[in-house]
Amino acid sequence: MELNEKLKIIIIEELNLEDITPADIADDAPLFGEGLGLDSLDAVELVVQVQKHFGVEIKDMEEGRVAFQSINALNNFIKERTTA
Amino acid sequence: MTPLPPIPVTGIGCLCAAGNNLTECMKSLFAGKRKPLPPTRFSSDHQVAYPVFEIRKTIPATRSNQRHDILFTAELALSAAKEAAENAGWNREMLKNRRVGVCIGTTVGSAMNNEEFYRSYRDGDNPNMDPIVRFLNSNPARAVAREYNLTGPCQTVVNACSSGTDAIGLGASWIRSGICDVVLAGGADELCRVTYNGFISLMITDDSPCKPFDANRKGLNLGEGAAILVLESTDLCRSRKHPYHATVLSYGSACDAHHLTAPAQDGRGLMRALNAAIGRCNRSPADVAFINAHGTGTPDNDQVESFVLHKMFPGIPYLSTKGYTGHALGAAGAIEAAFTIACLNAGKIPASIGFENPDPELPAAPVKHQTEVNGTIAITQSLAFGGNNAVVIFGKGNS
Amino acid sequence: MRAAIRGLGIVGGFGSGIEKLKHTLISGKRTPKLIQLSIKKRTIEMPVYLCDTSPLGAFLNKRALRRVDHFSRLALLGSFLAMEDADMLQADHENFAIIIATGYGASNTTFSFLDTAFDDGDACASPTLFSNSVHNAAAAHVSILLKARGPNLTVSQFEMSVPSAMLAACQWLEDRVADAVLLGGVDEYCSVLGYCWQRFFGADPPVSMKPVEWKTQSAIIGEGSAFFLLTRDEGDEPKYGFITDIQIGHVRKYKPQSPGDAFLFLGADGQKSSGIYYNRHIPHGARSAVYTPLYGSLPVGLAFDMAIGALSVREDTVFATPKHAGKDSGLNIFGKEQCLNSERISCLKFSCDGEFAMITMAGT
Repeated sequence: MELNEKLKIIIIEELNLEDITPADIADDAPLFGEGLGLDSLDAVELVVQVQKHFGVEIKDMEEGRVAFQSINALNNFIKERTTA
Repeated sequence: MTPLPPIPVTGIGCLCAAGNNLTECMKSLFAGKRKPLPPTRFSSDHQVAYPVFEIRKTIPATRSNQRHDILFTAELALSAAKEAAENAGWNREMLKNRRVGVCIGTTVGSAMNNEEFYRSYRDGDNPNMDPIVRFLNSNPARAVAREYNLTGPCQTVVNACSSGTDAIGLGASWIRSGICDVVLAGGADELCRVTYNGFISLMITDDSPCKPFDANRKGLNLGEGAAILVLESTDLCRSRKHPYHATVLSYGSACDAHHLTAPAQDGRGLMRALNAAIGRCNRSPADVAFINAHGTGTPDNDQVESFVLHKMFPGIPYLSTKGYTGHALGAAGAIEAAFTIACLNAGKIPASIGFENPDPELPAAPVKHQTEVNGTIAITQSLAFGGNNAVVIFGKGNS
Repeated sequence: MRAAIRGLGIVGGFGSGIEKLKHTLISGKRTPKLIQLSIKKRTIEMPVYLCDTSPLGAFLNKRALRRVDHFSRLALLGSFLAMEDADMLQADHENFAIIIATGYGASNTTFSFLDTAFDDGDACASPTLFSNSVHNAAAAHVSILLKARGPNLTVSQFEMSVPSAMLAACQWLEDRVADAVLLGGVDEYCSVLGYCWQRFFGADPPVSMKPVEWKTQSAIIGEGSAFFLLTRDEGDEPKYGFITDIQIGHVRKYKPQSPGDAFLFLGADGQKSSGIYYNRHIPHGARSAVYTPLYGSLPVGLAFDMAIGALSVREDTVFATPKHAGKDSGLNIFGKEQCLNSERISCLKFSCDGEFAMITMAGT
């Protein structure tokens, strides 16, 4: 499965966003604030999920802000740290 | 609103990483000493060992009746209760003849989260049931009431990080309403792998000694301990001719109603609690000698507190003592109440340890050095998960 | 200690809402479900009074509930039902206080949090589960969703959780710290609790509760929530009457004092360890009822008895003890519905080590 698709499924399932599907999440849309309306607790939960599914660590929320800009941003973040 | 009658505090017991009793604790604070280290009682598989404020010295044995095996949290509560009762001049016989209530805040003390038991249960084994029995015997308020044969109301407050402050406020109200002659009120909590992992997962812990209100603060360090205040009615205190360390002037409590873990950035709940407490204590903000802030060292918490303190008490010195004790969760508010009373009577507060560099985003900074304070009242405040804000105001004692 | 009861919200094995409770009281029907439990390498079936929180959907959408666990859903459903019953859902809740009493807290979530650390390592422990496992998470969810900004308190004292919470509520109303207090008792079932039950009480679960047989262990686990919307006495006649007295003590020094001819609702719930105290301390001949077989054994059971008491005041009717509650051993347990006639009701609960609470209610 393509990484973007996998990320969307993880977000929907692990954050319990029952009312949306992967098709509802645009690859370049902001994940926090507007759009999906995720908050600080979702952010730290996503950090744990990224660790769990990809073995990639997000050290602090400075890194988190970059990684969670959008699905594309998260995709890049993970790829950078798994091919290195 | 009519001001509340002040409630005398005739005894204090306090133990944490800073010391095994209140005198030892205050000595450490004024010596500017602290030494958080990685936990020794448990390990974890995090990349980094986060420092904690563990009680390393053996605490004094406290129990006349060794029948029940109890959690360390309950042992801490008993140790603090023993020091407090002795300090107040109450022995077991005397307490037995009075209507004595117990109100204690905790987090770990009421959590059935024994990992060894649960692991064994999950694996389909036949785990030993001792951890369950121990948990059932370890409700901190019940443990203290059982130890001293007390028959008044007994309440364990589980309001997360504001529990200790809430317990003192609630205990004082039992005296005022005449339900009790004496109340042992405070908080107790032990370090535990579950809370350690929990706070790390929230990314609000610091992997170095915490720096409350500092520009480079990264988060909290966990701690453990207990503190108990003996509260009693003014009539009883007078009839015993016993000196009192302080009076509980008022208690204010309010909820942000905002978020499960983050405080409301506009500080509305804290301001409401502070206004409620000030309103009931028949004094004015100008009488405030200092404020013992919650000051965990997390970016969000310290931001809110600095904003509120600057708005409501501009120019009045404040500090966080969590740089000396770590965040002892349910015990924090009670430990800080004990420190607040000691400092109010001493007329000085220690440095807000960990604070070096003012944060330009914070409108008010804590004291960087030991500071003389003037004023007849002092405030201790606690902010909790779930958006609870609790404030207690103390008046000076006569001891 | 006095408070007016203006709204009731209740969730139990019998369903949710006052009318459901009333039908259950009239029919006397017991509704535990059978669940499977593994113990000592065999699977047994155990009855549990389990709750369905899906009616919460009438108040809150899926998005609002996405991070809310079963324990908090029980609390939210009880809260919203009480507010709706009091016609206060749309009111301004700025000065409302929230108090939750619980024996064991959100135990399912506590263990789910441990699962995440055990399954994938400490670095994968879930922060969402941790925050929800903290005892006061439910009270936080209630205050956030109702925008209640007064004081907020959670207490945990096993069987004495509800009475100590009631004390705080009456105190806050008297001190004018809040204009209204939404107070509830909440406890949930979890498989670890079921397992412990079987280890402590024997691997053959009781078929049905017989709480009046004091020497028999017949308790069946219940879960649920019972919420009350309380205000000061405003000189009117609230539909559920008043809490008029709260006694908390220990048999070592005190005895529960029931006023005059009050009906007694006994919180005896088939636990042998507390059964002995009811047997010893109930005034001879006092008209008594035991409703625990309708909702099960749970630390906050007293809140359920109080809800039944409040309903009895509203209906001016005292409902019969459900049949087969045990052989009447000299107590005056009424087996038929009768008129309350504006008399008082005292709800009595003992813990297994001799603590007791008696909360009295009346129409005026």
